[in-house]
Amino acid sequence: MRAAAAPSVTTRPLIGGPTLTRAALVLGGGTLLLGVVVVVAVAMGSVGVGLGDTAAILGRRLLGLPLTESWAPSAETIIFELRLPRVLTAMLVGGGLALAGTVFQALLRNPLADPYVIGTAAGASLGAVLGIVAPLLLPGLAIGAASAWLGLGIVQLLAFVGGLGTVLLVYAVARGTGGTPVVTLLLVGYAISSILAAGIALLMFASGRALGAIFGWLMGSLTGASWVDLAFAAPLLALSFIFLLARWRRLNVLLLGDAQASHLGVEVEREKLGLTMLATLATSAAVAISGTIGFVGLVVPHLLRLVIGPDHRLLLPASLLFGAALLVVADLGARLAGGIPVGIITALIGAPFFIWLLRRSRAIRPVPSP
Amino acid sequence: MASRLRPRLLLALSLLLAACAPAPGASESSATASPSSPSATPEAATSYPLTLTDDAGREVTIAADPERIASLAPSNTEIACALGSCDQLVGVTDYDDYPPEVADVEKVVVFAQVDVEKVVAAEPDLVLAAGNELTPTAVIDQLSDLGMTVVVLYPESLDEVYANVELLGVALDEQAAATELVDGMRARVQAAEEAVAGAERPRTFYEVSIFEGTIYTAGEGSFIASLIETAGGEPITGGALSTSIALEDLVAADPELILLGDAAYDPTVTAESVAARPGWGEMTAVRDGRIQPMLEDPLITRPGPRIVDGLEALARAIQPDRFD
Repeated sequence: MRAAAAPSVTTRPLIGGPTLTRAALVLGGGTLLLGVVVVVAVAMGSVGVGLGDTAAILGRRLLGLPLTESWAPSAETIIFELRLPRVLTAMLVGGGLALAGTVFQALLRNPLADPYVIGTAAGASLGAVLGIVAPLLLPGLAIGAASAWLGLGIVQLLAFVGGLGTVLLVYAVARGTGGTPVVTLLLVGYAISSILAAGIALLMFASGRALGAIFGWLMGSLTGASWVDLAFAAPLLALSFIFLLARWRRLNVLLLGDAQASHLGVEVEREKLGLTMLATLATSAAVAISGTIGFVGLVVPHLLRLVIGPDHRLLLPASLLFGAALLVVADLGARLAGGIPVGIITALIGAPFFIWLLRRSRAIRPVPSP
Repeated sequence: MASRLRPRLLLALSLLLAACAPAPGASESSATASPSSPSATPEAATSYPLTLTDDAGREVTIAADPERIASLAPSNTEIACALGSCDQLVGVTDYDDYPPEVADVEKVVVFAQVDVEKVVAAEPDLVLAAGNELTPTAVIDQLSDLGMTVVVLYPESLDEVYANVELLGVALDEQAAATELVDGMRARVQAAEEAVAGAERPRTFYEVSIFEGTIYTAGEGSFIASLIETAGGEPITGGALSTSIALEDLVAADPELILLGDAAYDPTVTAESVAARPGWGEMTAVRDGRIQPMLEDPLITRPGPRIVDGLEALARAIQPDRFD
């Protein structure tokens, strides 16, 4: 930390921070990787559309190139209405979950923290399950009209509201007189999640025929991705990305502990609330359009910390890029495997890789070390 | 794993398809079609564009006589084929096994998952979906948003099966074939009803599946329950939504006849194995030895034209004396 007080050391500005070349390598490599997987994912699917046609369709629709239609109209629908929004959704959701996971792990100083840890998953799930079951139990419900007005499905709307609302509730309950201790936040989050989980289980028990739809949502799936959903979630995600990326320095300081951070001039309580809400905004927006996709938000931050170290200046943008790339690849696998929930793929390909990396790395640093 | 999973999926499917409560909005009104030209009579040729209301209560307009049909449920496939439109099918499900000629049609539903890309690639001008989340609502919305003509069929009684056949008859301009098919079905149902009329109605328990001690059966007010009634039995039903029944409720209801729909998929479900289940021995059906595998379960739970075969099989099982 003393290095920060010595402006002459410019190449390593903060807690062994990234050199310019390292940053360029990680972020440049991440961007390149993301670009490649996005192109591959749009070009591949259960129906074969030639690479040339794929490029031509994208060129015509995205860049307005005056190309003559040499392809079947169905190919254009598949590329532009099905695959492109789905791949972009995977990208934003994967990036959002990994970024939120990084923030929560630092904020809560807990290696098992993921974007869902303080109630987002339970709240969003309860909202989504209600959205799936309610039209069956109570036909002609008025909430349908409200969500239709937003152009959104009722499931997406309730999931978003449920996720955000639950974290607000957890925060309000956990807030004691002298601040919000991390442990209290985690425990209250766990308690409230348990209550909501009981509600989810009850609804699932009573759901009968909708059980399949509920199951698919809880496993996480990008099957229904559309431009409409994307138009709702993308601005929210982009907003949270910008504000979170800008707070790398404060996250680094918070790693030292509340007292230390406070001595260093950080308004700890305000920062914690702000970071929690930004990360929850990203998580809720992601979950609303994809269901609870596990693993990405827990493991991508750890993976990257093992490789590039704990400095959030590099860690935050890297988790955004690599989280996005991972989910795009996983979703491509899910599509090619006949539409199985993507959460299965993320765990199946991600976990063994994670174990390998854990064993390989000499110094295991699962917790962000102060 | 796959061999264990598959029958369970089948069970889940048939459970979803048949053993559940009436879908709100669909139960009270079976589908109706109103040709845009007011002069059209039921026997006349269909005039397009045709606007109809499907079983999900959606208004759908069919622009022209459909030439390419994608069917997202085996029952829809069977109705379309029975109306002579089998060669217009460009997409079916991997559960489709009847009639045999659909085996070569592209599978656009695999493991109960609609592959939307494949549906789009098949370029259908009519998509026949199933209701009750069998085709997920999200998928129906997605296909409609892509500009496809999607008709949801979800019959929950014999009358609604007739209505669906007639609806498709109008939609596919096969009205004469539809009338003939429905007349034939009605005649056979009537014959079965007459055969069992006046007979003592045994309390009948239909086992859809049993899993980890939870017993799934015909839900209250479900299609299976109504078929059992038509076939001369008194159905013992489970919860309308959960379609399950607690063992003690089943013992209290004391079935006189146990029909094993799951025996069609699971060879370990037999009269002997059911009699040996703890707590089942005191039921009248078990003491009288009236436990019967229903290998016709796929017909009973598939609401297409062959549901009449399923009904006749039920009637023979429930009232064997009337079919000597």
